[in-house]
Amino acid sequence: MAVSRLTAAVCRQFQRVVTVSSHTQPQCATQAFSRFHLCQRRQTYDSWWFRSSMNNRALHTSCVRKGLEEFFDLPENWGEQTVKSGAPWTAKQLRVKSNEDLHKLWYVLLKEKNMLLTVEQEAKRQRLPMPSPERLKKVERSMKRLDTIVTEREDALRLLQTGQERGRPGEWRRNVFGKTFWYRFKEHPIPWYLNSRYKRRRFFEPSHVAPYTRLSLEKYLRSKMRKDKRQKRNQKRLAAMFPKKTALA
Amino acid sequence: MSSMRLTALLSMAAKAAFPRDYRYGTNRPWTIAAQRLNPPGKKRRKVFVEPIANEDWHVLRGDTVEILSGKDKGKQGKVAQVFRRRSWVILEGLNTHYRYIGRSGDYRGTYIASEAPLLLKDVTLIDPTDRKPTDIEWRYTEEGERVRVSVRTGRIIPKPVYQRRDGIIPQQWKDGPKDTSPEDTLQKTYTPSLKTLEEEVMEKMNIQEDRRPRKSYWY
Repeated sequence: MAVSRLTAAVCRQFQRVVTVSSHTQPQCATQAFSRFHLCQRRQTYDSWWFRSSMNNRALHTSCVRKGLEEFFDLPENWGEQTVKSGAPWTAKQLRVKSNEDLHKLWYVLLKEKNMLLTVEQEAKRQRLPMPSPERLKKVERSMKRLDTIVTEREDALRLLQTGQERGRPGEWRRNVFGKTFWYRFKEHPIPWYLNSRYKRRRFFEPSHVAPYTRLSLEKYLRSKMRKDKRQKRNQKRLAAMFPKKTALA
Repeated sequence: MSSMRLTALLSMAAKAAFPRDYRYGTNRPWTIAAQRLNPPGKKRRKVFVEPIANEDWHVLRGDTVEILSGKDKGKQGKVAQVFRRRSWVILEGLNTHYRYIGRSGDYRGTYIASEAPLLLKDVTLIDPTDRKPTDIEWRYTEEGERVRVSVRTGRIIPKPVYQRRDGIIPQQWKDGPKDTSPEDTLQKTYTPSLKTLEEEVMEKMNIQEDRRPRKSYWY
């Protein structure tokens, strides 16, 4: 009746040996597996469930060709020592693109990155240098810049509509050692007064720690003063060593 | 929270860390020669370098400069490398000393001329009109462009054309199958709107999201 989704990814050898179950599994998970991995996974399944009459169905299918070629470079680049590639996307160029274009570009860059990582891994396996590794850096930089643009747009919209500077809420708290830090909130399903683990966390300093906050502040101020003085002293020394030439040579 | 800390950690690990009194030489820091120059426990006298801001630096790679002092005084040469950290400039084929390279066993190696770096104050740029050494100032043109101007004649010294390390000449570039053409890259498709990226994309792809998020608590 309904062809099981699992059968779409079974290799030819299996069809003769093992009968296939009609148990439905997510198609996307099986497509990504190679033949070898699939064979290994199958051995761990419960064999009696497979062989029971209601799940038995011998089926012949062809190998799957669902776009795995996107993990590999164009065939004319196979075996080359260097592959030509253009410049990465700059933030200025990305800023004029619409959200839909950016969304599509992100996935194009992601697939390209996956392809380059495959090439890199294969080169490591063959113990050969990867052809043109700068392509990977270009793609990563482009993706980083795209992410920056998207967060910029989100920040602008949020500031306009709500006035919130941060996307994730947080606040300044003191930890048990007396240090003030920016505590970033986490999402919980239950309120804080029902969360026993959260109630055990101490966001205050005990009384015997209180004197040390003043001492650590003094230490920090002293080190800042020392650094400033050292910088001023160095600049004075350099100015004495390299006086500014008034009459040009 | 933890994902951001992880990337920060990775970037910290990827960035090379140098000690405060690291002495930069002509070799790149990851080579064996540089490691020999800076073994972990060494303490050498500190080199003092004239502090020049990045925008005030006037000698660029590919410029023709004249040497003012040293063995090859008075000669003009093209700049091959610039070391800003030590105010060094290496010219092609000038200020050379000779050494053997690639020795192994009994073979003493090839005898080559290797250039020594010159300090910035010992070189000056050359005026293209009369090909004499001159002093340089950074000035703004009428269009607002910042250019180097020779003090003596007032002529603008153009930025030198230097071939990129990957050998690409931008004017002769031909787009590959995966490259976007310049027109498509510069085409403006953005219209500002009060929708987030997710909302816009959902509209375009006709995704209906009827589920409402469950009430969660942030603390």
